[in-house]
Amino acid sequence: MSESWSPFAYIVTNLARFIRPHEVTFSGVNSSLPMLACLLARRAYDFDFTYINVAGGVDPIPSSVPISSSDPVLAEGSTAIFGNEDFYDLCTRGGMDLCFLGAAQVDGRGRTNVSAIGDWHHPKVRLPGGGGGAVMLPTAKRSVTWRTEHSRRTMVETLDFVTAAGGMHGVVTPIAVFVKQNDRLALASWHPESSLEEVRERTAFDFEAGQARPTESPTQREIEALAALDPERRFETDAAIVLRKEAV
Amino acid sequence: MGIARTAKIESVAKLAARIPDGASLALGGSFLHRGPFALVRELIRQQRRDLEIIKQSPGYDIDILCRAGAVRRARTGIVAMEGNFGLAPWYRRAIENGDVELEEHACATLTAGLRASAFGVPFMPCGGIHGSALAELNGWQKLPDPYGNAGETYVIPKIRPDFAIVLANEVTEQGDARVFGTSHWDRIMTRAADRVLVVAERQVATDTFRERPELTLVPHFMVEAAAVLPNAGWPGSCWPDYEVDYPAVEAYLGRDEAALADHLAAAPEAREEIAHV
Repeated sequence: MSESWSPFAYIVTNLARFIRPHEVTFSGVNSSLPMLACLLARRAYDFDFTYINVAGGVDPIPSSVPISSSDPVLAEGSTAIFGNEDFYDLCTRGGMDLCFLGAAQVDGRGRTNVSAIGDWHHPKVRLPGGGGGAVMLPTAKRSVTWRTEHSRRTMVETLDFVTAAGGMHGVVTPIAVFVKQNDRLALASWHPESSLEEVRERTAFDFEAGQARPTESPTQREIEALAALDPERRFETDAAIVLRKEAV
Repeated sequence: MGIARTAKIESVAKLAARIPDGASLALGGSFLHRGPFALVRELIRQQRRDLEIIKQSPGYDIDILCRAGAVRRARTGIVAMEGNFGLAPWYRRAIENGDVELEEHACATLTAGLRASAFGVPFMPCGGIHGSALAELNGWQKLPDPYGNAGETYVIPKIRPDFAIVLANEVTEQGDARVFGTSHWDRIMTRAADRVLVVAERQVATDTFRERPELTLVPHFMVEAAAVLPNAGWPGSCWPDYEVDYPAVEAYLGRDEAALADHLAAAPEAREEIAHV
């Protein structure tokens, strides 16, 4: 490739590719990359979809892209405030088509740990907690998560704690896109500068890869949309995502 | 019996003095947005101890209270500073050291517990949860559908905070409060709690509320007392009045002792105290 596909742009673009026409799609707290993915899809894709977010926005027209993905600017231009209780209730009654949910660890069944590293009662690291996960992951029609680090400590065989079950429909990392197949995460594609071997090497759970191939390059419209959302690469710099750690 | 329609506006310090050691507090807002942070800091100045914090998504508020050693127990769904600041460092340390006891929720399970209190019932069904280890951790029970139409549903026990404390844009002299933009979980908190305290950006004439009563989040008969202080949500945002003050959040996160003292001294209610002396 003439210009490499940065792992930041790779994650945002591939999250956006999970968004489907006419569906209700949600982005939450602590979720800058899914927020950017939803805003990117608005610009890069011709179809319409409903974008709701944790700031209460319904198809908002934000005047700027906020650092915090729960910033009230994400309700600017909204014709309604669809608040926290509302979007949870929408999800549990089956009205949420696509939900972006965070995770620290993901297992082969697409379950997540966002609670603690080590024993929950005596944690090595107390993580933020799952937020909506335990309720939304089993009730949303599809949920998708992202990891900015793809390694055997994030893509695990056994979770330190099962914060949320129900199974992710998709997982995007700096080097790979997984999609659920028969209740297991299967590799759908890998970053053009990575390989099936590298994904296997850096993933602790077993996965099917029969259909997998290099991820389709970003379209001109996807590239332009992200450039418009992050013209000074402030989000990209802050996210500091690398394809792989440099060999020491 | 409601609370009398008398003048309820008082200083942030007096509002905080109503809260005893050991009280459970439902704090309004979410992460850095629309939190009653002036009152939170005043609790630290008044050296409150053993507080229980109930909030779906706390961040700065629970972190600074943990930093000051004011917290005994946290009942939360997700805790972070957000933005680019990541985990809430003093909260994290307090949990890892065992200084603070955590009851970990999904945000909606905490809401279910608050709804049980608001609706006057002992527990509340909540969708999802199946397969999550949080159920066993918290002893949440499942019930069969007594009407035979569906499978088992989790029920969350009632959560009744001693106080709900919310940040409103506007308040009347009698304590009616309204919020512009999303009110997060503030509404259910005010219905679930035993007592309601309001911090507001400004006081407006009661007639202003009469013109648009549907904008009122909490009516006066439910509000015990209120304080009026511009910028009370600092360093967070209060839509549409002001945005997050990121440099102030960054300064708060400074590791040395002076960072906390400097932060407290720079807060808007600190100037109010001087004015009241």
